[in-house]
Amino acid sequence: MRFFDCNAFFGLPAKRPLAPVADVAALLAEMDRAGLERALVWHIAQHDVAPQTGNAMLAEAIAPYSRLYGCWTVLPNQAHEFPPPSLLFKQMREARVVGLRIFPSSHRYLANAVSMGELFEAMVAARVPLFVSVHRGMAWRDVYDLLAEFPELTCVICDHGVWGEDRMFRPLLERYPNVHVDTAQYLLDGGIEALVSDYGASRVLFGSGFPESYFGGMMMAIKHARIPQEAKEMIAFRNLERIIEEAWL
Amino acid sequence: MIGNSDLAQTFWEHGKAADCPIYDMHGHMGPYHSIYFPRAEPADMVRTMDEAGVRLLIFSHHSALNSPNLANQPSIAAVRAFPDRLRAYCMVNPNYPEQMARDLDAFDSLFPDVYVGFKFLSDYHQIPLTDEAYRPAWEVADRRGLLVLAHTWGGSQYDGEAVVRKVAERYPNVKFLLGHSCHGAWDAAIALANDFPNIYLELTAIFDDRGGIETFVRGAGSDRMLFGTDLPWFDPHQAIGVLLNAGITDEDRHNICHRNAERLLRPIVPGVVGD
Repeated sequence: MRFFDCNAFFGLPAKRPLAPVADVAALLAEMDRAGLERALVWHIAQHDVAPQTGNAMLAEAIAPYSRLYGCWTVLPNQAHEFPPPSLLFKQMREARVVGLRIFPSSHRYLANAVSMGELFEAMVAARVPLFVSVHRGMAWRDVYDLLAEFPELTCVICDHGVWGEDRMFRPLLERYPNVHVDTAQYLLDGGIEALVSDYGASRVLFGSGFPESYFGGMMMAIKHARIPQEAKEMIAFRNLERIIEEAWL
Repeated sequence: MIGNSDLAQTFWEHGKAADCPIYDMHGHMGPYHSIYFPRAEPADMVRTMDEAGVRLLIFSHHSALNSPNLANQPSIAAVRAFPDRLRAYCMVNPNYPEQMARDLDAFDSLFPDVYVGFKFLSDYHQIPLTDEAYRPAWEVADRRGLLVLAHTWGGSQYDGEAVVRKVAERYPNVKFLLGHSCHGAWDAAIALANDFPNIYLELTAIFDDRGGIETFVRGAGSDRMLFGTDLPWFDPHQAIGVLLNAGITDEDRHNICHRNAERLLRPIVPGVVGD
């Protein structure tokens, strides 16, 4: 069974974790050990240092490896810290970067139309996916506010937590057709099956939360979920492939 | 496939392995206020256990944890319905000493057909494990060498590593299962396991902390670690996937999944625990 991870990072965090993954070589070794085919990755420096610094580190690191896709981090652009969306998207295409991440509470801004309307409108138009983590850098209330202003945004909500945050993300799945959730930390017994039953397999993406979580945990959970093989493959890799293909980068 | 051993291949292909049954030493049951559970009723949980090769689950019902009105009755009823697959911890809440006295009085009539020991939830009941209010239950457990599964969390004033050390010194005969292994205080948990031969590191929630399994195997040894999932909270297949993916041996996996639990449980429930 093939797996394409939508939620993994590498690089050394400022605060040392239990099992750091220093560089792309270590990441690839762990992917091989787990039998993981491809991954959409980001560099922890995008969060801990600065998006510009981490984005450059990411692009350089993944360039030689076609099984790795990048996810850059962006900021509000009133201070002209980033190029305009059209140029940003061109740079993404050249670097095999297929999605964007934001950490508004960590990076001290509000992810809304006032702050980032131009970029989010361009992302909606080009169907560029936004990845947000409710474990790192964005609160549920901010996710709700963002989607209320940009209801067509392709958004993947990651790391939603081991306490089974269904009451938080199910309203968003019901209201916004382009919202998805990943599986990192979604350890809930029967949770995947319930989501597939209520919303279809197209709304769930395999995400590991690596290196803070093991690749193998949710791979095993998906492989043995009580859902059809076709649904397993959608979650394991096809949904992320589709989202990347739909983006007009 | 997420591992390269024979055991990993069997689990990966079939979801379970006949020669590696699992004893889940930390479960719950029933609805809970702050989470949606798709599979929290006993029959649903047993079906999950079947799919993952979990031979026996030892649990405390959510109502037993948080409703002194219901106390242990839902746990008892579930074990009576599935006597070959379930055992319960007798939950005691020291905020209600009169209920605790009733639970202790009833213990003998329910051991070992229903109970294998006690469950303490100090962080939630906000009474330290060392408090005088817990003493009657600790003394019963110590006198009889029973299992005690205590929720433990790193740094907690109620059940953190310093509190655990104090009660471990007081009650050396208890088979003391550190639920969540003083989560986050990894070195302190290892030190406790090394200093007290009756302490075991129970792994619920550790399965979502990459590196935790290898750290405990290196520091405390796999013969001191116990499989647990908080079922119906966490999918046992997720935990199994982590064990297969972690950098440990199949011998370690056997120890964690069944051998250590069998050693603890065989004197209590021999008809349920396989050889």
